[in-house]
Amino acid sequence: MTLHARILRRLGSLELDCEVEMQPDITVAVLGPNGAGKTTLLRIIAGLLPLDDGRVEVDGAVFEDTASRSWMTPEERRIGYLFQDHGLFPHMTVLENVAFGLRARGVDRRTARMRAGEWLDRVDLAAHASSRPSALSGGQTQRAALARVLVTEPRVLLLDEPLAAVDASGRIELRRALREHLGTFSGVRMLVTHDPLEAAALADRVVVLESGRVTQEGPFTEVTARPRSPWIARMAGLNLLRGRVSNDALTMDDGFALTVASQVTGPALATIHPRAVALYRQAPDGSPRNVLRCQVAGVDPEGDRWRIRLDGPVQLVAEVTPAAAAELRLAEGGGVFAVVKATEIEVYEL
Amino acid sequence: MMRGVTRRPLLGLVIPAAVAVLFIALPLIGLLVHVDWGNLPADISSTDVLTALRLSLECSLIAVAIALVIGVPLAYLLARTSMPGRRILRALVTLPLVLPPVVGGIALQSAFGRTTPIGTVLDHFGIVLPFSTAGAAIAEAFVGFPFLVITVDAALRQRDDHYEEVAATLGARPWRRFWRVTLPLAAPSIAAGAALCWARALGEFGATITFAGSFPGTTETLPIAAYSSFEGSGQVGEAITLSLLLLAISVLVLVALRDRWLGALR
Repeated sequence: MTLHARILRRLGSLELDCEVEMQPDITVAVLGPNGAGKTTLLRIIAGLLPLDDGRVEVDGAVFEDTASRSWMTPEERRIGYLFQDHGLFPHMTVLENVAFGLRARGVDRRTARMRAGEWLDRVDLAAHASSRPSALSGGQTQRAALARVLVTEPRVLLLDEPLAAVDASGRIELRRALREHLGTFSGVRMLVTHDPLEAAALADRVVVLESGRVTQEGPFTEVTARPRSPWIARMAGLNLLRGRVSNDALTMDDGFALTVASQVTGPALATIHPRAVALYRQAPDGSPRNVLRCQVAGVDPEGDRWRIRLDGPVQLVAEVTPAAAAELRLAEGGGVFAVVKATEIEVYEL
Repeated sequence: MMRGVTRRPLLGLVIPAAVAVLFIALPLIGLLVHVDWGNLPADISSTDVLTALRLSLECSLIAVAIALVIGVPLAYLLARTSMPGRRILRALVTLPLVLPPVVGGIALQSAFGRTTPIGTVLDHFGIVLPFSTAGAAIAEAFVGFPFLVITVDAALRQRDDHYEEVAATLGARPWRRFWRVTLPLAAPSIAAGAALCWARALGEFGATITFAGSFPGTTETLPIAAYSSFEGSGQVGEAITLSLLLLAISVLVLVALRDRWLGALR
């Protein structure tokens, strides 16, 4: 069961233009900032929003094809859509909610209630079968919604920010439960999120969507190790540079160059971990090191590591201990020297 | 602090406001003062009053039924589709609200009167609307159903179609979505609209008397009976008893709807 989608859709200021292929039995996270078109993508696959141009196909079943004007209604697609707000019907009990999809697909009342009851058991909600959704906590609501979706045995599972509506305290437990239930579902599993932690915890593979375009895809660790866009780099907590490499020098567009130690030549990207950026009040001398004269643009205390934003030949973030920050008398607008070893600059092809 | 200053009442407004309260309260008090409380049980259980009451309930409930069957679908189409001419249609629906009921009655007469094309066809099937109980019910439905349509339309528009989308992704076809999701979620507003429609139908006078006349036992509903005894036979006492009955029903509807209707206005 493979999902293949070629999508072009304009919606307000967003132009979603991407191609995605999803294999079964792995969870793919579509990761991106707010407004990147993640929910729009899900709505298109679910059939809640038509395409301007393109084609959506699951295992040979054409959901939509603008070329041949074919269109399958959402109810015919056999997808499971976990909405961000979970969308439990307020006028039905939890059991009726979970049985709804089965009833809609022609299962008789008794069997539907029985199977819904079994699923409520699996998500530890048997005691709440006759409650109204309004009586459930955030986590219970999410589990009920998940049961309601999974009981219909969909061929594609779409999850929209599954943990966003749940408060932080219940999230860890819920993430575990979600991963467990995702594991039992065989089919295409696709979740969208803006939270890298959620993607890392739940997905085998990430597709990064920014401003309607796919900027990078691959296993999470690979994507975050070698970010291809400033947003991914920020998300991974890395400094990202872009330039050309020749003779162990990475030259930026404005002509500024850093010494690197790399096999790569030509257009390249480079990351520097904030901890690899050392700060000094006086310019140090010595070996093959890069010394950048910078100004402190901002100081963000974050626990025992302070993030120092630097303006200089390139923009960098450095991470120092509070003690070091005090010793260096770092303050916004103050001058400082940033030092980066050539070997700490991770270079890879553009 | 600003709140304290801006919340201080303007004396110049208090007086007309007090007049407004009296304006509503005094007639009601006058009515209550003139009720012959001792004979009330006997008055209410008189055959004339009971006949009018039974007829009123009959006609108004038929009117509500008609309003539900045609009004809810119309409200749904107005609220949830982008059919052309929606705004004009919405204005048209509200017309009976502002139209003088007598005009409504005359209009009904010109559409369904025995000599009109529609009247002739109905006559052929043995159905006569003017000056019949069915005609009274039709007149009441005509005047009352905009209340239902407006209430349900507003409620449907207030809520987006998110739950219908959820139902669709769960495999529910359009009819199932309508019956299992749209209707139950709109039920409170349908009940409120029906109650308003019913109250309006119960008090209907102008359109009913114009279209259906005032025949005791056939078309003489409570308000018409109250008017006839007040004006025609000079039995002010009976008129007051009938009025009290109508007032009681109105208060009952208000109490039943206090959260739905007044709550929204609060």
